[in-house]
Amino acid sequence: MTSRQPTSTSSSSSLLDIVSNLVSPKSLLFNAQHATPPSLPSQRAPTMDKSQQPSSFQQLEKLGEGTYATVFKGRNRQTGELVALKEIHLDSEEGTPSTAIREISLMKELKHESIVSLYDVIHTENKLMLVFEYMDKDLKKYMDTRGDRGQLDQATIKSFMHQLMSGIAFCHDNRVLHRDLKPQNLLINKKGQLKLGDFGLARAFGIPVNTFSNEVVTLWYRAPDVLLGSRTYNTSIDIWSAGCIMAELYTGRPLFPGTTNEDQLQKIFRLMGTPSERSWPGISQLPEYRPNFHVYATQDLGLILPQIDPLGLDLLNRMLQLRPELRIDAHGALQHPWFHDLPQLQAQLQQQQQQQQMAAGYGGMMPPQQTY
Amino acid sequence: MAANYWASTQRRHWLFTRERLAEIRESFKEKDKAAHSQFPLPDQRLLNIYFNQQLIKLGKRMATRQQALATAQVYIKRYYTKNEIRNTNPYLVLTTAFYLACKMEECPQHIRFVVGEARGLWPEFIAPDVSKVGECEFSLISEMQAQMIVHHPYRTLSELQPELSLTSDEIALAWSVINDHYLTDLSLLYPPHVIAVMAVIVAVVFKPSSQTGFHGSAAPIAGAMRDGGMNILAALGDKGGAGPPPRIQKLIAWLAESEVDIKAVIESTQELVSLYEVWEQYSEKNCKELLGRLVKSKSLDK
Repeated sequence: MTSRQPTSTSSSSSLLDIVSNLVSPKSLLFNAQHATPPSLPSQRAPTMDKSQQPSSFQQLEKLGEGTYATVFKGRNRQTGELVALKEIHLDSEEGTPSTAIREISLMKELKHESIVSLYDVIHTENKLMLVFEYMDKDLKKYMDTRGDRGQLDQATIKSFMHQLMSGIAFCHDNRVLHRDLKPQNLLINKKGQLKLGDFGLARAFGIPVNTFSNEVVTLWYRAPDVLLGSRTYNTSIDIWSAGCIMAELYTGRPLFPGTTNEDQLQKIFRLMGTPSERSWPGISQLPEYRPNFHVYATQDLGLILPQIDPLGLDLLNRMLQLRPELRIDAHGALQHPWFHDLPQLQAQLQQQQQQQQMAAGYGGMMPPQQTY
Repeated sequence: MAANYWASTQRRHWLFTRERLAEIRESFKEKDKAAHSQFPLPDQRLLNIYFNQQLIKLGKRMATRQQALATAQVYIKRYYTKNEIRNTNPYLVLTTAFYLACKMEECPQHIRFVVGEARGLWPEFIAPDVSKVGECEFSLISEMQAQMIVHHPYRTLSELQPELSLTSDEIALAWSVINDHYLTDLSLLYPPHVIAVMAVIVAVVFKPSSQTGFHGSAAPIAGAMRDGGMNILAALGDKGGAGPPPRIQKLIAWLAESEVDIKAVIESTQELVSLYEVWEQYSEKNCKELLGRLVKSKSLDK
């Protein structure tokens, strides 16, 4: 990722352009063999995936508006399984939206328990329907309904963070940046599973490209290097977002709710300290860097997160490093001692959930209407 | 270009054996013998050369990355494993593959601009209505089962550069060999790293000595090829042999140690060599005429 392509490599020239009078090397070197064709009939699939039809799903209530689509709850008519149906409207002016294309193609490759599964892609006359695994709510709504004024308990926070980091690690291992991590894009189900969703802005970082668009990541979760106009960002931008989310799980409020690019930077510096060429060599070369940034001293994150334990605070500090190179990576985070007691905590969580489900199940057995 | 190649849809769904590919093509022929005899087309590789040249023209006035052109070529190949070319308007498929590849490789172009450029190049085959490209895009996505991420050998090449201390000349040559492999079926037959290794071998073995340089003169390369003689293959089986020069010996040693499928590398080199051989028969005019007759007679542009 750090290596750059040699300049010549952007060319579309053929070897023959370079070696214009080359004699055919075949006679000198090989006995080339051309493929000889036998025969067998081919089979064609009429739809994008298997042969699912939109009518295979019963459309239930609307769940929300995504980046480029409307999401409905749906039910598979055959199996009764709940799904999320993401309907993408096609614009005759731009064909299938790039975001949809990116999301679909990435989701086809990324299969992991902490990433929402794309079951199917169905296309009809004028719309595209993505059939996703059903998740009950996004993390934002979950916090609003479950937490104590948005704050979650220690065990849940740790479990969510572990799942978040393993989803991120999987993306990064597969050379995919999510670029838009925020509570609204993290989905939670009744089993207490957290999964990454909405890959509309995700990108693959296959070949090093120095000109990533810097218009990504919702402002509040945007890394300082991106805010400073760096276009060579990498996996560390997702780690910054994850750090912001971790703090929000404790407080129930966004850590850096900036209104503009400058305000966002200021909110970050006020807490994390204003970086300088000394603390961050090269910073003054970034496009949005201003020598007259107000100079703030670094604050202790623990002061605004009184509920956090020292190990958690240590991990958070490693994620919220201003300099992208200093930020811990996803695997490093998963190895952090803060997660060591997760198995015990999870056992407790499971017990709690079973109790809740039993209570819920009891409620569910009541007749829906008691008219007599 | 994203995600892990070993778990990729490319590896799982878009890698064919030579036999399977031949079967698919033969089955198209079986299905519509009349069309095949009525509308003969040039050798697949010659058609690919034509498509590639048209794609380069199409991308000329847009800031297009080579990788997008490569992706477009792979899309065209994949599409024509699902559809008989004689039932399509190849110019529309070409334009759409380019348009979709630009979206995927993050150098998106406006549909109107792409259609405008395409109409400038092939006014008789591309309708002014942009929705045709939108529809065709749908069909491409659908036929590819939305498996649109393509792993290219370019990345492996840049990874191999430090490991094999390749010079910039070698990289340039290898890069152009990779460009050329899209003119064959190789991208449907072998994983990208095999192609990259093949390209490096061709570049290192064919490369003239660094003093002469290769710019502007083909003679040293032809000479190098004759001298180096691709004895590399023989040398692989005879590691103690004193044949090839040290630079090539080093490469052979690396190859022997790596777990690259040598047989696949050799086969792909052969494929490339036969491409250069068949290239001598290439006639743009011939491709253009045959395709034009096909599209017009069958009204495929409507």
